[in-house]
Amino acid sequence: MLRLTEALHKVIKAHGEVSYPFEGCGLLLGRVVDGVNVVTEVRPLPNVWPVEEEKRVRFRIAEDDWRDVELAAMLKGLDVVGVFHSHPDSLPVASPRDLAWAAWPGYSYLITQVQGGTAVLSRSWQLLPDRSGFVEEDVVIE
Amino acid sequence: MPGDILLNVQEVFGEVMPTIRIPTPLRPYTGGQSEVAVSGNTVGDALADLTRQHPDLRPHLFEGDSLRSFVNIYLNQEDVRYLEGAETAVSDNDTLLIIPSIAGGKGGV
Repeated sequence: MLRLTEALHKVIKAHGEVSYPFEGCGLLLGRVVDGVNVVTEVRPLPNVWPVEEEKRVRFRIAEDDWRDVELAAMLKGLDVVGVFHSHPDSLPVASPRDLAWAAWPGYSYLITQVQGGTAVLSRSWQLLPDRSGFVEEDVVIE
Repeated sequence: MPGDILLNVQEVFGEVMPTIRIPTPLRPYTGGQSEVAVSGNTVGDALADLTRQHPDLRPHLFEGDSLRSFVNIYLNQEDVRYLEGAETAVSDNDTLLIIPSIAGGKGGV
């Protein structure tokens, strides 16, 4: 399960909209509480996929950007609990491409559909333990 | 467990050892520890000690003898690929970070 505030969700949606028609991405910071990824901060990051035109359908987070966020989070007693990205003009469903480039099960993969430049829907996914696919998780926005 | 002994020695005698920060999804395999003190003079030795202390971590970091393709190791702020890789020297006050490569997007692979 993923839990975040409406204010943080607005930041995520705004990043998806400002990135449109390209995919936007970033990291979710917070703590794992009784198996729930509780988000207390979000960090929009550059989409560093190397081919500009392909950013419409691809994203990549730079490892150095992740390192900087990780080190800053450490100082605050926070952790990276997930990744967010947008799907321009496409359902917020984890794709084969998301699966191929995923990390470890346990992170939340929050995807926001941005339709015609407006963020319309977010859904979150967890990688299965055997890495064979994603399963949707509940999202609580309060 | 050897890891517990190492940690206790550090706590009791104030001995300083390199530490490895554990990403949240991997903490179930370290008994919930966010950082693990390790022994070793190189990055490779430090990772070997980590997986010796916590064997269930190994398949999440390694594929055979090599790091999984999406796993990157940073020594303090430096990606060890741009240093000397597994042979990079580590010192007692160093922190190793395990940083994943993440990408994706709508559509096929």
